[in-house]
Amino acid sequence: MRDLIEYIAKSLVDSPDEVVVTEVHGERTSVIELKVAKEDLGKVIGKQGRTARAMRTILSAASTKIRKRSVLEIIE
Amino acid sequence: MVFIETDGKTVEKAIEKACQEFNLPEERLNIEIISSGISGLFGLVGIKKARIKASLKKVECKDKLENAKKTLEDILARLKVDANVNAEDLGDKILLNINGDGSGLLIGRRGQTLDALQYIVDKIVNRSSGDRKWIIIDTEGYRERRTESLKNLALKLGEKVKRLGKPVYITPLNAHDRRVIHMALQGDAKLITKSKGDGHLRKVVISTKKGL
Repeated sequence: MRDLIEYIAKSLVDSPDEVVVTEVHGERTSVIELKVAKEDLGKVIGKQGRTARAMRTILSAASTKIRKRSVLEIIE
Repeated sequence: MVFIETDGKTVEKAIEKACQEFNLPEERLNIEIISSGISGLFGLVGIKKARIKASLKKVECKDKLENAKKTLEDILARLKVDANVNAEDLGDKILLNINGDGSGLLIGRRGQTLDALQYIVDKIVNRSSGDRKWIIIDTEGYRERRTESLKNLALKLGEKVKRLGKPVYITPLNAHDRRVIHMALQGDAKLITKSKGDGHLRKVVISTKKGL
């Protein structure tokens, strides 16, 4: 999961070196935290949160496959 | 647009430097000469270095096609989906067809996963400058099936509107799906279709011409 979000985020931003993704595992739900450079925040959120929504949709498809739930948090 | 400025004794030297910085051959760069440099008297007096501005050339179409295919493959690999991708250049569009296991996982409810993948790949591919290429991602002939069922829905609702004489709203649809509805009812002289609402909640209203 972490890999997936890291790959997408790094491909979207201007400063891929500053992308940090951490995954907090829970019993049924994991929380994935995404941190990017301040200037890139808009790029991972997108117009009306469209990019963030798309990432969450892909993430939930990936989680369904392993019968878990994942939540994507974008950290400011 | 990313660009760098370099200098050197001659223009050639400056270009060489820029190539090293980008780690790309000269053909891939746009070179703009700021000053061509003066070698000065006996190479001593009034020396002025040559200065150039170098930026990346437009990514060629072929590169975008390869880039799109690779991006989708990389994402699918991380989704742990065993599938291969067929890429096709359709002029201003790139069609990526996924040959997968047919589980429907990649399609999602009403194609939302497929649309999300399409949106993300489109963003990544069109980040670099150059001609904009629309990305279309399809699998198992889903796009065609969806278009067909939307057309049927439009016609069915069109009849309902005529019967009831009252406008009917369809659940929020994305731009492509709304277009299918509009097109399907365009030929009907008794009906009018309009899109209402904002962003991802925009929906189509079908009404009779008299009802307006």
